[in-house]
Amino acid sequence: MTCTETRDLFSALADDALTPAERAALDAHLAGCADCRRELAGLLRTVKLVRAIDPARAPAGFVDRVLAAARPEPAPKRLARRLLAPWQTLPLGAAALFLIAGLAVLLFRGSHEQQQAARYQPTTPGPAAQAPTAAPRETGSSATTATRESTPAAPPARSRKLETAKNRVEQPAPAEPRAETTAKGGSPPRDTAPAAPEGRRAKVDSSERAQAPAGERFSSTAEDARADATTDAAKEGKLRQEPPAFQSPPPFGASRVAPSVAAKSQTMPQVAPLSRTGPMTGVPAAAPDVSAHLRVPDVTLAELSLIELAARVGGRQTGRRIDGGRVVVELAVPRDAYAQFVREATALGSLSIERQATERPVLAVTVTVSN
Amino acid sequence: MREALGADPPGLLERLRAGEPRAFEELVTAYQHRVFGVALRMLGSRAEAEEIAQEVFLRAYRALADFRGDARLGTWLYGIASRLCLNRLASPDRRVARGDAALADVPAATPDAAAAAERAELDAALRAAIAGLPEDRRLVLVLRDVEGLSYEEIAEALALDPGTVRSRLHRARLQLKEKLERFA
Repeated sequence: MTCTETRDLFSALADDALTPAERAALDAHLAGCADCRRELAGLLRTVKLVRAIDPARAPAGFVDRVLAAARPEPAPKRLARRLLAPWQTLPLGAAALFLIAGLAVLLFRGSHEQQQAARYQPTTPGPAAQAPTAAPRETGSSATTATRESTPAAPPARSRKLETAKNRVEQPAPAEPRAETTAKGGSPPRDTAPAAPEGRRAKVDSSERAQAPAGERFSSTAEDARADATTDAAKEGKLRQEPPAFQSPPPFGASRVAPSVAAKSQTMPQVAPLSRTGPMTGVPAAAPDVSAHLRVPDVTLAELSLIELAARVGGRQTGRRIDGGRVVVELAVPRDAYAQFVREATALGSLSIERQATERPVLAVTVTVSN
Repeated sequence: MREALGADPPGLLERLRAGEPRAFEELVTAYQHRVFGVALRMLGSRAEAEEIAQEVFLRAYRALADFRGDARLGTWLYGIASRLCLNRLASPDRRVARGDAALADVPAATPDAAAAAERAELDAALRAAIAGLPEDRRLVLVLRDVEGLSYEEIAEALALDPGTVRSRLHRARLQLKEKLERFA
């Protein structure tokens, strides 16, 4: 296989799109051609660089604009929809809470005593201040609230129930028993006092609640914007991290390291135990000096990075096989460069190593790559 | 790179064909970023990309009845987007030098000034290199390395032979590598 033919396969190699035969031929050529290894390293860096570009996000509100453009409705229907829209899209609960809020306001305004009570309430110590959760039941026995119970105002009880439930979570022990006992034990004379703030609270409460689900429907733009912001932030973080990853291998002008690599690979002694099985036969080599396991997100890229790394430190790839679905890369690494090899291989992913005590000048390194 | 396209959302095609109103909204929601992404990388301006992306979904909406379902919805939409982008790029009234902004939305500002400058320089080189690719190669590169489609998906979307996809992609990457080598 010529260098040109080899290089034509590089791009497909980066995508793991080679046939086994192509891959074998490519590996065989690479093992003996430093120029092509350098070319490959450069191309892989380019691919990595492009892949580091963050995918774009459609602008906020895009979906709504498409839907509006896709479904131009006839005028009367659109008008009707626009008029009814809030009620159609508002969750039932939210609509109910609006009603409750309205009624609460009416009741609050309608009762002079309540207003009075409300006015003094903040300075009034005692049950009103101490036991807000007891309020709903306390009002149960009074004449004024009898009407409230019989009217659709019943829902305030529901909203309070929600609140009581919330309180239970926040302050589990004291809140509940107090509510229970006051409910059973009837009400103190100042029963109307808590009712007013209660009404006010219901109003605030319900409008808050009403806004939440409605917001969910309408604020998708805001949410998108937020999502954009977060991805932008993530993007920035990622971008900041990215460059070093590219800088650890030689920069684009690979010629800087080229001579040393070429020189090293020429002078590098052949590794007898490894070459015995032939470079790319897919048969495991004799027991390696170093067995490593590399966990990475992108197996193909890591594999190629390893081969490139081995070449850079003056070694080479001696074999490759698939073992139980995992890629096993066999490398020859000069003992002198082993420390550098490990250091840089660690940067590729999570690396675990098992080393045998041997004295060979070139170590047989087997790396199992998986994700 | 975007995550793999994967299978269509289950049942979506059937519901689209049945004319279920919510189904189209789901389709747009599911694929908006992908469609917009390819348009942005091809055209370079966000405004123009949104215009094209909208047009993609409108065409899909009108063509749903005729969609045979022998392709996945995702690749079908990528295909429409690609054609519309190439048409737009070929139109005579299109203003020139748009491609230069191909990566305009990549933020260059980082708190660390030196790193920011370095990154900005690299971004600029990358942007210029991608924008300078011939359109058919740029499209394949964007679909593969930015949008994360497989060779088969690109072949399906662009109605090309997988071998053509492979060779275009290869040429695009080689060209990029040369440009970026000079930059380095």
